[in-house]
Amino acid sequence: MLSINNLCASVEDKDILKGLSLDIKPGEVHAIMGPNGAGKSTLGSVLAGREAFSVTDGSVAFADKDLLELDVEERAREGLFLAFQYPVEIPGVSNMEFLKASVDAVRKHQGKPELSSVEFMKLARETSKKVKLDQAFLKRGVNEGFSGGEKKRNEILQMMLLEPKLCILDETDSGLDIDALQTVADGVNAMRSAERSFIVVTHYQRLLDYIVPDFVHVLADGKIVKSGDKSLAKELEAKGYSWLEGEVA
Amino acid sequence: MSEQVEHLIRKEYAAGFHTAIDTDTLPPGLNEEVVRFISAKKNEPEWLLEWRLQAFRAWQEMEEPEWAHVDYPKVDYQAISYFSSPKSMEDKPKSLDEVDPKLLETYEKLGIPLHEQEMLAGVAMDVVFDSVSVVTTFREKLEEAGVLFCSISEAVEKYPELVKQHLGSVVPQKDNYFAALNSAVFSDGSFVYIPKGVRCPMELSTYFRINEQNTGQFERTLIVAEEGAYVSYLEGCTAPMRDENQLHAAVVELVAKDNAEIKYSTVQNWYPGDENGKGGIYNFVTKRGVCHTRAKISWTQVETGSAVTWKYPSCVLRGDHSVGEFYSVALTNNYQQADTGTKMIHIGKNTRSTIISKGISAGKSQNCYRGLVRMNPGAEGARNYTQCDSLLIGDRCGAHTFPYIESKNPSAVIEHEATTSKVSDDQMFLCQQRGLDAEKAVSMIVNGFCREVFKELPMEFAVEAGKLLEVSLEGSVG
Amino acid sequence: MGDLQTAALKLAETQSAPAWLDAVRRRGAERFAATPWPNRRTENWKYTSLAGLAKKELRLPEVQPVSVPEKDLIALDAYKLVFVNGVLDQAQSDSLPDAVATFASVNEQQIELVQSRLGALADSSQHLFAALSEAASTEGVVVHVTAGQKLDKPLYVVNYSSGEAAQLIATRVLVVLGVGAEAEIIEQFISSDAQQANLVAAQTEIFLADNASVQHYRLNLEQEGITHAGGVFVELGRDANFDGFAIAKGGELIRNDYVLEHCGPGAHVELQGVYMPRGQQVVDYHTNIKHRVAHCTSNEVFRGIIGDRAKAVFNGRIHIFEDAQKTLAELSNKNLLTSNRAEIDTKPELEIYADDVKCAHGATVAQLDDEALYYLQTRGVSKEQAKVMMSFGFINELIQTIKNEAVMNYLLPILAEQFGRENELLQLEAESFDEL
Repeated sequence: MLSINNLCASVEDKDILKGLSLDIKPGEVHAIMGPNGAGKSTLGSVLAGREAFSVTDGSVAFADKDLLELDVEERAREGLFLAFQYPVEIPGVSNMEFLKASVDAVRKHQGKPELSSVEFMKLARETSKKVKLDQAFLKRGVNEGFSGGEKKRNEILQMMLLEPKLCILDETDSGLDIDALQTVADGVNAMRSAERSFIVVTHYQRLLDYIVPDFVHVLADGKIVKSGDKSLAKELEAKGYSWLEGEVA
Repeated sequence: MSEQVEHLIRKEYAAGFHTAIDTDTLPPGLNEEVVRFISAKKNEPEWLLEWRLQAFRAWQEMEEPEWAHVDYPKVDYQAISYFSSPKSMEDKPKSLDEVDPKLLETYEKLGIPLHEQEMLAGVAMDVVFDSVSVVTTFREKLEEAGVLFCSISEAVEKYPELVKQHLGSVVPQKDNYFAALNSAVFSDGSFVYIPKGVRCPMELSTYFRINEQNTGQFERTLIVAEEGAYVSYLEGCTAPMRDENQLHAAVVELVAKDNAEIKYSTVQNWYPGDENGKGGIYNFVTKRGVCHTRAKISWTQVETGSAVTWKYPSCVLRGDHSVGEFYSVALTNNYQQADTGTKMIHIGKNTRSTIISKGISAGKSQNCYRGLVRMNPGAEGARNYTQCDSLLIGDRCGAHTFPYIESKNPSAVIEHEATTSKVSDDQMFLCQQRGLDAEKAVSMIVNGFCREVFKELPMEFAVEAGKLLEVSLEGSVG
Repeated sequence: MGDLQTAALKLAETQSAPAWLDAVRRRGAERFAATPWPNRRTENWKYTSLAGLAKKELRLPEVQPVSVPEKDLIALDAYKLVFVNGVLDQAQSDSLPDAVATFASVNEQQIELVQSRLGALADSSQHLFAALSEAASTEGVVVHVTAGQKLDKPLYVVNYSSGEAAQLIATRVLVVLGVGAEAEIIEQFISSDAQQANLVAAQTEIFLADNASVQHYRLNLEQEGITHAGGVFVELGRDANFDGFAIAKGGELIRNDYVLEHCGPGAHVELQGVYMPRGQQVVDYHTNIKHRVAHCTSNEVFRGIIGDRAKAVFNGRIHIFEDAQKTLAELSNKNLLTSNRAEIDTKPELEIYADDVKCAHGATVAQLDDEALYYLQTRGVSKEQAKVMMSFGFINELIQTIKNEAVMNYLLPILAEQFGRENELLQLEAESFDEL
């Protein structure tokens, strides 16, 4: 599914990722944890193809393609989905229009027929119920005036509509209360399948009680310094990250 | 509060004395003969006389601009004397010891000692009294670094090629009415040349003083920073208190070659007229700089003086990645009028400009920001940020903002914001409740309002500027 | 006097107009003749050239039996008046309530009203085209809603330009609302085709007595050939309310002057506008909000997208007079240039003579937000489409504030077309969303 090999990336000439390798097979859920500034969010941005980040070394294969060769939208159409830590507000562009444009683009790329507007709206309505997002939000500007929780649910709504192969959740749990966290986790868990993989980037172990990972990795100073199963997350919670400092050096 | 504020702005203009000194002063009037006289007096080469005459002829065809938000009786250009020099300067003193002690006294009184040992370390000064340069200090030290710093008259004699190459290259003779007048009759001013790669070892400074009655001052300053050079230049000015208005029409040209940086700071304290609006200097000034590739020009001005100000220090951002900055505090009180701001002309790619303007109006004054930001079609990726804030003290003054924003490039980004506010009763109450008197409270609030600009000034000047504001505001609170 | 001025005045002399308009027409002619033809040094026309207009060979309007295409009309339950080339077309117009008359159907009282008020706000000594409009005035609408009354339906005035010659159109709208009266006025300007080259000098004056309230729309949807030099002049009494919306797609030149004067405390102005010239079109809005008295508020927002070789000019002045303490006034103008040859000239101005006021303005010329573009791309939307969506969104944000839904629903597809955006979804959003 995804194979990251020795990935190095920088932003504004500052090295952030310094040789990160990770292999993800279909159906697997990988959690990435680590201290602030370790490069957790950078990983999501680099995989999604954000312009400000330049890849200086390494390779990424995604579904048998060279991911780094693809434009941002091509990656999305190939089935890579990034749920933003801070979803962007786009005033004046209705959420519905945005969702349809997005679903149309992805379906067209996959050779599927476009959904009619009526079909699409039905689908959007049903899906928004699943993430407990009031339908009124479909009519409003993209994320415009949404609360933090509403924005995150809108991200999960998009993920459900686009049915990606690989979902990257970038600190989706930050700033969520327990109820919202439960809703988000339910959405993610409902989407888990043998074909779909997840990278769950988080600072807190709490999320992993709700979305139980197959693997946990610790990212520090731009590299994965330790990997294990879900028990590693518990250990991190108990001990913090400082005990891993030796491994960083 | 307003009644309190009323009182605060009234204090004597400290620089308002006159020095009784024998002068060599042309009778009032302006014609070709006057232009020839000035040129001859300065032993100028033929080309410069010709250049002046061209300007004079153009000026005769031009009309005085009326678009500014200022209102003053028309200047009678025939009632002004266009040249005045202390008699003692006839013999061209070679050193400070030969300078008329009365002249030196004038500067002592202004708080500007001219003996190098008494001066602020690290500031070299050119001193202009009416139409002539009196003295330039620290010259040897500067020459060691290859920096040329002298009066423009001297530069014409000693470095004619440099002057010829750059004079009028930024502000052409016919640029505008006052620039044309200046080009015809400019008397003295400073010349600075920083060679390639040199970082000027000290701050350079010019102090302008109008002393004689019925004279105009038409100084001309030219600063050239060659590739990679750096200079910080300061300018200050005062004049005696007189009931008549006096004219000051200066031109300043800056040339910043590739990677050069020029920082130009002004503390303008010409006589502003009395509390009834009688007298004061008409300050009609053209200041402009050209930035070549990756060069930077930064204008900082604190304008507290003059009866009428008409002044727009500008940057032509010709080279790619060049930077222009304009930081301004303009304070008007009593019947002062100021129409001041800047022009940022973006020609090169990725050029950047910042404009921070703080206008403070008190008394019955009118204070106007007028600015132009222009993005030419080639200004790919250019950026401008403009912030104009006005503070009103009292309800009989005016604060105005006229920004002209023109863009012909879709990748250029311009942001302009303007706000207006007053010294609020709440702020005053808080300060007073904490034991400050009204006067101190206003000056503190005003200083806070201006902080963004003051931090751009060299330190000694920033302190001066703060004090100056305090003095200028006296009587505005009661 | 310019050639066009001479020619226009000659034309006006040959017009037939109601005798009771004579004095107004004479005044306009004198002032039009006395006003110097603007050039680049004329501050009010600094960025807008009238050279193209000066070359026009103006004619008097031709009476044409032309029906305005149904699709061009707003589906409104309103009193509709259709002027074709400035001439009232009875057949396409509705019968009017007592409060509304055209110059052809005025009673004595309304004549007096016109004679005393016409030009009182649209000062023909100050505004060149207000003078022209007086000089050539033959037709117009007068609305007089008496104290405490409400015009039960919106007044919808359609100004249709058609035919080949460049005709001189000078229709007037005069609205007088008594104390506490209310009305909604929709002015629409359209032209038959891109070649149609009329000069439309339509001036609108609105007098709001204390507590009166008006919703006003000025929809400049003419095509490329038109020169529009119009204005909206409003006087607000105590606690009066003006809620205005302006849109201009662009023509050879679409110039509108808005002058709004707060004359009684507690009055409020809300003015929003959008412009989107393309091709070689020019749009020019000059707005001036005059706060003459204390305790008034104003909020003004204009946005524009300028494409191709088009040009937009925005001049927004806020003028706070000496006595206008406690004023709150804000103005925002945001622009997007979408082509290397497009041009925007914007000048937000503050002129303030009172200290206890809160005034702010902001103007930007910017690009689309990179962050938002990236977000759209991560969802599979191509950069090009993302740009279209966001450009539309930039304008749509203001369209969504329109209170009259019929007007909003009329404008959305026009915008969608302008930005090459899919229309189907729009309609779904507008119509059938609630059923789902």
